[in-house]
Amino acid sequence: MVKQKHVVIAVLLFILGVLAVLTLFPSEEKKVKKQFEALSRVVSKAPGENAITTARKVYEIAPLFDENCELIIPADSVSAYFSRAEMTSYVIRARAQFSDLSLTFVDLSITFPDRGTAKVVLTVKLKGKVVNGDRMDETREVQSTLKKIKRKWFFSAFEVVEVLKK
Amino acid sequence: MTSKNRLRQFFFPSITPKFLLRVVVVALSAYLVFSYVLIPIHIQGLSMEPTYHDGSINFCWTLSALFLKPQRHDVVAVRLAGHGVMLLKRIVALEGEWIEFRYGKLLVDGNTIEEPYVKYPCDWSLSPRQVEQGSVYVVGDNRSMDIEDHHFGQASIKRIVGVPLW
Repeated sequence: MVKQKHVVIAVLLFILGVLAVLTLFPSEEKKVKKQFEALSRVVSKAPGENAITTARKVYEIAPLFDENCELIIPADSVSAYFSRAEMTSYVIRARAQFSDLSLTFVDLSITFPDRGTAKVVLTVKLKGKVVNGDRMDETREVQSTLKKIKRKWFFSAFEVVEVLKK
Repeated sequence: MTSKNRLRQFFFPSITPKFLLRVVVVALSAYLVFSYVLIPIHIQGLSMEPTYHDGSINFCWTLSALFLKPQRHDVVAVRLAGHGVMLLKRIVALEGEWIEFRYGKLLVDGNTIEEPYVKYPCDWSLSPRQVEQGSVYVVGDNRSMDIEDHHFGQASIKRIVGVPLW
């Protein structure tokens, strides 16, 4: 009976130890996923969002992006670099056009071509209601590149993949 | 065994090694079938109305993509970055064919194609274009929406995951 008790305690301690390691020392893949979760959180907008929440989210946008972020949208012939300030400005203006906005990332596939770069292929779902009442529902495949600078990951490129070419 | 005992055994089975093995086998089979063979899908959006309704449930039968060549008028699921979100569209033209929309009518290689599944009025016009090798041209059944708002075009056959079960 005493031995059984010791075994159970040892197993529980082992499980707690594993959980502690996973929580305190997340893998690079987890860190990259957290950046996408953060981006989803700051861009998404609930109906009736108050000014304080908006201000907090605006403050959190800029630190997600690299100094220069490349945006490639082949269908619209867009291929350009935008500064961190410009990206922040675009996101703020886009949010302002919606009364309700949801940005979600699905099916993330993360690879690390080198230690400081992460390439992510994912599906982006953008759903929302424009202030004039029109509804928007877009789903696209996107390839994103993140750069690691001083142990933090920053978005440095987004490319929309043309799955259906008109 | 009396009927009362049988009932009791059914709802409160004895935890024997055989029982545990059965649970593992059933759970593993269910995981494999519903992850890779019969993928449950929740249809969102209006692009396939009235054939498939927004909010309806179905399954994506993936074995058809492995063994059958896609044909015109087949409804297929086209994957984006993964299986979490897919596009449900109908094949209207095959590789090498010229597709065109003229005042709402579909033309393939210059011939008008009857589309009994298109129930809503359509006024689309799209200049002729050839479907690339290894691709099919997919469109939704709901052509009442503005052509600019409808997500359609040619997709690689490799992206076809399967067909809806019903």
